[in-house]
Amino acid sequence: MKFKVFMGALVWALLISALHVQLNVGWRDLGHKLKVLLGVERQELLVGFLPVT
Amino acid sequence: MTTHSEAGTVFTARKFTDWATVKESILSKKVGASFLLAPMAMQLAADGVPVKIVYLGHRDGSALVVGKDSPIQSFEDLRGKVVAVPNRFANQNLLLRKMMRERGMPFDAIETRDVPPPEHPTALQAGAVDAFVVGEPFCAKAEMDGVGRVLYHTKDIWPGFISCVLVVHQDFLDEQPELIAELVSGISKSGLWLDESMENRFDASHVVGKHFYFQKPQLLQWVLSKPVDRVTYGDLKPIRANFDEIMELAFETGILPRRLRFEEYVDPSFVPAGERSAWGVEAETLREEAARLRLEPGTAPDLEMPELKRRAQ
Repeated sequence: MKFKVFMGALVWALLISALHVQLNVGWRDLGHKLKVLLGVERQELLVGFLPVT
Repeated sequence: MTTHSEAGTVFTARKFTDWATVKESILSKKVGASFLLAPMAMQLAADGVPVKIVYLGHRDGSALVVGKDSPIQSFEDLRGKVVAVPNRFANQNLLLRKMMRERGMPFDAIETRDVPPPEHPTALQAGAVDAFVVGEPFCAKAEMDGVGRVLYHTKDIWPGFISCVLVVHQDFLDEQPELIAELVSGISKSGLWLDESMENRFDASHVVGKHFYFQKPQLLQWVLSKPVDRVTYGDLKPIRANFDEIMELAFETGILPRRLRFEEYVDPSFVPAGERSAWGVEAETLREEAARLRLEPGTAPDLEMPELKRRAQ
């Protein structure tokens, strides 16, 4: 019974996390952040501008 | 040209075509930082949006331009005329108000019209406006095309004029301060490098023209050399007195709903330590460099000169 409760909670946590990434974070952004953390990719910052001084 | 900073961060420039989209991108945090019109940044702060000005984009670099053969010879001649401004929230708009106030003219003595910057020269040529005041390179374009004549450079009527400022959402300042510091440091170094010599400016005109502005390098060379202090990059620290003056003008004009304290919209803590705080030195260095390259202030660079031609290739 305890095992079933544990598995249920785990599956629920995984599902709700996946839904959060899908709706709020984005898989691409998450992947990029993980790669930056692991040192595979460089950190990036977008800087907006208009071509006028 | 490198694709990343010394610390390894990739700073990607995203070009926009209108100020409304820039503003929206800052609000929605689609960009980490952006260059924005100074009074527009103040207006965002006055509306309670958590953004801060951390640095300037440049100083001067705007001009009041009239038709090439226009009878307008002084600011007073603009009374009753139509002048294009880039945006109601642009400091160029406030410049007109400042000049009107200094000359005892009422604010409705000149009719202003919002026109997107790239359309200023054509609006002048078509007779839709009698003059325009905008940032470069559109003043230089009007000159190069034989359409316009500079009545005043901002450096001569409002020295150290501020147009665009670097704006960052408070969340980025709190969450990634090291990235913002790195960006500001990079802009500072680039500015000092640009003001170091005419050679650097001409090199930059090729890179910026090709990769960012998508304009002919000759146009940018005109901007960066005619005269040499038409736009400067050597002193980009946000200074309280400068911003207080802009804020007061914006409040008087009705652009700002209330007066703002400097600390409400500026965070100068990202300015690199030891940065020079007085301008003028850089312009002097440029004048010496111009003399070395036989460029007189107020004259176009001779692109046929072997030294410049070699660099342009």
